[in-house]
Formats: sequence, structure tokens, C-alpha cells
Amino acid sequence: MKHESVPIYWRNIPQYYRLVAKRCKKCGTIYFPPVAKCKCGSVELEDYELPREGRLLEYTVLYQVGTDFLKQKPLVLGLVELDGGVKVSGQIVDARPERLKPGVKVEVVFRRVVVDGKHGLVMYGYKFRPVERL
Amino acid sequence: MGRHYSKNIDDMAAAVLDKAIADAKADIEALYVASSTTELANKQQLLGVYILEALGLDGIPVYRVENGDGSGGSAVAAAYHALRAEEYNCVAVVGVDKPNDVLSNQQQDIYATTLDTYFERYFGFTPLSQAALMAKMYLKKYEYRYEDLAQWAVLMHNRGAANPYAYFRKPIKLEDAVNSEYVSEPLRLYDVGPLADGAAAAVLCNNRRDGVRILHVATATNPTPFNLRQDYDRLVSLEKAAEQAYTKAKIAPRDVATAEVHDSFSIFGILALEALGLARRGTAPLVVKEGNAPVNYSGGFKARGNILGATGVYQLVEVAWQLQGREFKRVDGSYGLVHSMGGVDKISTIVLMGL
Repeated sequence: MKHESVPIYWRNIPQYYRLVAKRCKKCGTIYFPPVAKCKCGSVELEDYELPREGRLLEYTVLYQVGTDFLKQKPLVLGLVELDGGVKVSGQIVDARPERLKPGVKVEVVFRRVVVDGKHGLVMYGYKFRPVERL
Repeated sequence: MGRHYSKNIDDMAAAVLDKAIADAKADIEALYVASSTTELANKQQLLGVYILEALGLDGIPVYRVENGDGSGGSAVAAAYHALRAEEYNCVAVVGVDKPNDVLSNQQQDIYATTLDTYFERYFGFTPLSQAALMAKMYLKKYEYRYEDLAQWAVLMHNRGAANPYAYFRKPIKLEDAVNSEYVSEPLRLYDVGPLADGAAAAVLCNNRRDGVRILHVATATNPTPFNLRQDYDRLVSLEKAAEQAYTKAKIAPRDVATAEVHDSFSIFGILALEALGLARRGTAPLVVKEGNAPVNYSGGFKARGNILGATGVYQLVEVAWQLQGREFKRVDGSYGLVHSMGGVDKISTIVLMGL
């Protein structure tokens, strides 16, 4: 969307750049995106960086995209299970979609996500790519 | 509904509201406004007041409800609860949205704000893309081909042809759906309910013997983020709401003569049938193919159109009319229900109605 907000982007950088989740100190449940309170009732949550490798569970190729992604369309969007079991959704890059399939090993990469016009922000974040070239 | 470039959003809502009030011959004590995108697409806050202004209705309270594309059901729920509390005797609900005031890619931007804006929309996800992932997993799990899913669009277009208010009133062939372009594979153009401008209104009263009765309204949420869901082949919010509604109203799924469900994408129609107990899990495509499921006689989102926050109010009016045999062929039975959903299985409202 045009004119994304600087404070919103800035405050989410730990998640966008390093996948900082929350882990419950009592029961160990991991939350990404982070939450304020665990389902077990505990509010003692610590920052926890998610593993950077996992496997692709499923993906879709999206052709009807929002205004931020017109230059990148189609987008390959997937659901990934990281080592340890936490699932994260995101863009799958550096792969021809017809060669992707569930189970493919993927890793986190750091990429440009949105360029907000000529004078706006350039925003970054995590994406996923297959570990082996497809 | 359709594209109403010549009307402002408040005037469009006022026109249908005026008709509903005249039809009910009631004094309205409050107005509930359902709208999903009035700020983002039409640049208007406080919409209820401007609707009143257009009608010369003086001084009554207005309440705006925004729960994304489930706003309509939520506004009906709020109105119903106020009547149950006997705060008012008669209230009106109006649902209105005008997505065609902006370009189609901007509509995608706006619709995507029903997702988690920081961790889903930011990376390019839209409701369509999440529906596509769910469709892919459902089709694989139960070993269906895409053609089985495409039967939904065929049924919806057949039914929409008999709805005088539908956006599309033309039956289609299976090939039309199967050969349409991919929008987010496996979903194709015919799996998507087209966004349309529209408005619908209803008057709800205590102590009236004419009209259709609301037996129960149940709402349930599913706050689990999309990436942390356990299952991708069910609508959790709807399952919870349905269980509550059926239990409270003492009605079984087989008593439902008509259900208007939230099929913004074909897969949600399939999953809604299963969550409502109108098909066993994994069998909805077969039930749809048989062609006589009591679902979406309006044509659903596919043929009636997706009017975002207004849709739940459309559905309410449609089910009432189907039970009464007004504008629609009268259904064979006395009970009907509305399923209104916000986002991708984030919130579901069920309105159970009876003659």
C-alpha cells in the first residue's frame, strides 16, 4: 500500500530481519508472530530466534497481487515448517514454482520486500529459498 | 449490486434503508451500520450519521460495526443482542460497501488488511492466497481433482440465475470454470466471488408477529494465526458458532432448508457445508455435485457477488425471503441460516431463522 508507516516498519524489524519469536518460559510453546501471554496462562515469555532451515509444507502462485507487488508478480507464497516444528508463512524465492513440491528443504534469506514508491521507504524482511538449486 | 460509479456510499445505503423501513412500517430507534471498507475505499468515517442525513431521520443513535467481510453478520448480532436486552423495540441494520471506488489492485490491498497486516499482508499475502493454500491441502487430503472443486462455481451460477439481485445471472458450464485463468493456483477466476458495490437493509423488531423470526445468533472467533493452524481443511470459527447455534435453538442440520454461507472463495463454500453439518468432512464436493444441497440459493459470493461488509445483511434478507417465498422460490421447510465470516476463518456469525 502507498505510504507505509515508518514506526510500524521500525518496530517490527526484529521479526522481519531475524525472526524473533516469543517462547514461554513455563511450557516452552513458541509463538510467531509474538504474543503477550501464553495459552498456559504464563506471561513469562522470552525472545527466541527461530531456526533458519526447514521444509516446505505447501505453496501457491498468486497472480492477483496488491499494489506493492505488481512488479514482482506472480508471487510464490508458501507455508514452511522450520526445524523444531514452528510453521511460518512467507514468500518462496529463487525457485521455479513448477519444480517446487512439499517436503523441499528451504532456508531463510534476507530480502527486499516492499519499495514504497520513488521517495518512500525500502523495506526488508525474511523470505525462503530452496537449499538446493531447483 | 455491481458497479455504482454514480452514487456515493451514504446515498446508496440510504436508498435501501428507506425501502426497508417503509416495508416494515416501523419506527426505528437505532441504526446499525455494517461496512468493511468505508474509510479505506470511500474516505468516510461516521457513515451512519451521513446515511441518516440523506433520509432526514433525526437524532437516533447509530453504531458502526467493522469485522472485515464478516461485518454484516456482526452488525446483525449486535442489533439482535440490543433487542434481546430490550434496549430498543425496533432497529434497522444496513450493510454497505463500495469497493469499486478504487482500482482492483487497491481492492486487494484493502481486502488484505483483514489478514495480519504486519506478518501476512506485509509479505504479499491476501485472503485469496490463503484460501488457495487451504484448497490445495483439502484437495490433496481427500484426493479430489480440481474439477470437483469447480462444481461449486457451476452450482452458484445456476442458482444466481434465479436471484433478481445477483451480480451475475448466467449459468455456466464446468469447462468455463476449469478453463478460466489461475488467480492463485489451484484457484482460478471462477473460484473467486467478485467484489461488487452494494447495499442491503433489514428492520428487526421485538413483538412482531409478521415476518421471519431470528431464533438465535451465535458468534465465534479463531485467533490462531494462519501459519500456526493445526488444520487447513476446516473452518474452526464456523464449527464453534454452529455447535452453539444448533444447541441453543434445538435445531439439527437436517432441519435447515436454506443456508447462505460465506463462499468468498469456492473452498470456503465447501468447508462451510462440512462445518455446518450439511456434509460429512471430506464429502462436500460430492454433495455439491449432486446439485441439491440447500445452500446459497442466492448464487453466493460467486454469482450474487462479494459486497464485503454488506454481504451478511444481504444474506439475512435472502434467507428471510427464501423462507417466505418472496423474490425467491419458497424453500421447502421452516428453518434457514446465515453464515457470515470475517477474514480467513477469523470470525464467524451464524443467524438461525425460522418462519
